[in-house]
Amino acid sequence: MTRLVEVPAQFDDRSFDQFAAAFAAALRDGGRLLFDAHAAEWASPYGLVGLLAAGAAAQRGGEKPLLTAPTAAEVLSYWARAGFFRAAAELFEIHGKLPRTAPREESDVLLPVTAVRAAEDVHAVVSRIQQRATAILTHELGLDPKATMGFAMALSEACQNILEHAGTGGWVAVQAYHWRRKLARRVVVIAVADAGVGFRESLEPTQAKRFGARWGDAAALEAALIQGVSRFRDPGRGQGLAGIRRYLARWQGKIAIRSGTARIAILPAWDDDVPLREGLPPFPGAQVLIIIPEQGSATR
Amino acid sequence: MIRHIDVHAVLRESVSGLYADLVTRPTGRVVRERIERAMADAAGEVAVARMDFAGVGCLDYSCADEIVAQLLRNRPAVLVLRGITDGHRDAIEAVLARHGLAALLERADGTLEALGAPAAAAASLEVLVARRLAAPTPGGAFALTLA
Repeated sequence: MTRLVEVPAQFDDRSFDQFAAAFAAALRDGGRLLFDAHAAEWASPYGLVGLLAAGAAAQRGGEKPLLTAPTAAEVLSYWARAGFFRAAAELFEIHGKLPRTAPREESDVLLPVTAVRAAEDVHAVVSRIQQRATAILTHELGLDPKATMGFAMALSEACQNILEHAGTGGWVAVQAYHWRRKLARRVVVIAVADAGVGFRESLEPTQAKRFGARWGDAAALEAALIQGVSRFRDPGRGQGLAGIRRYLARWQGKIAIRSGTARIAILPAWDDDVPLREGLPPFPGAQVLIIIPEQGSATR
Repeated sequence: MIRHIDVHAVLRESVSGLYADLVTRPTGRVVRERIERAMADAAGEVAVARMDFAGVGCLDYSCADEIVAQLLRNRPAVLVLRGITDGHRDAIEAVLARHGLAALLERADGTLEALGAPAAAAASLEVLVARRLAAPTPGGAFALTLA
């Protein structure tokens, strides 16, 4: 029997838990999953890579899950330009009329949805983003030209998180857009998602004993993001997320990581999100969101 | 004797010649192992290497740790770094500080600057001076004698 998972009309990090709840319920029921995105009006890069992670997890059950594509032409066009359908074709049996639009080089899509399966993929992502991002970061977001390299570093570390901890591949996407509702400024967003083992399982062998009864998804995220611990005993490990934090602190950026049933965030002054949420609907792997805002007069 | 290492050239030999960025642990490991082989026959207990980062694009924390910090952890060594950008410096300083390690930065004018833990940097400079590889400049700083 086919189980329906509705894709929220506005699909981003705020509606992700609604999606995760529907996904968890459908997965529990068993059977083939149908991801219904026909009514989608907008999806952030976080929504798109999260949907791919759900598809990857659903595929493990055997049959490819189904996906009904958005019906609105402009939404379809954006998902295509963002490289979503190219990545989704491996994971879903897609229904709906897809545009032929290829991912566009000149759009605000700084990096279309890109699979990260090996170190070579990270090299390609970093090389590509430096070619594409400099103009937008400096001219549109008001970052120092030197910040481009830090941006590439943050992207590299976020992608490597997949390779080192997920036990499987994942996806990354980078986009610039005007965030009217929240900030009324332009932002650059990095979204990374995988359907791997998640932070709790990755860190359990080295960290669970230290946390005792507190051990769980939230404690694992706290250990990784706040304390900079790694699953490796090598003392040089665990510096990637700390490096991202330092970079974001300089540019009033935000990072949020969701894994399992918890979500942790380092919040700049402009954001009223909560630092830690527990008891969320379970979702496989880890999903990372990084937001760098346009540098306004108050922050320059 | 100072071993000269062109990091960008080592990177190009180590991974696909298409990329100029030092990113990911596997890349950092391969590059470090090549550098370690180049330093293996260095004279004295403490190896001295002058590593030129010119031409290297992005350097992430993983690679900075694998290359600079691991080199210093694996054997007694003095590393003189040159050709580094502000972005490289951020990553290198962070990984050195985490381990209480230090390297010396050779500025464009040839003078040396400490990177990382001050005590470890002072010890590195002492090694260079004792071997006459560095000497005071008229301005009160230190510079390599070979420069």
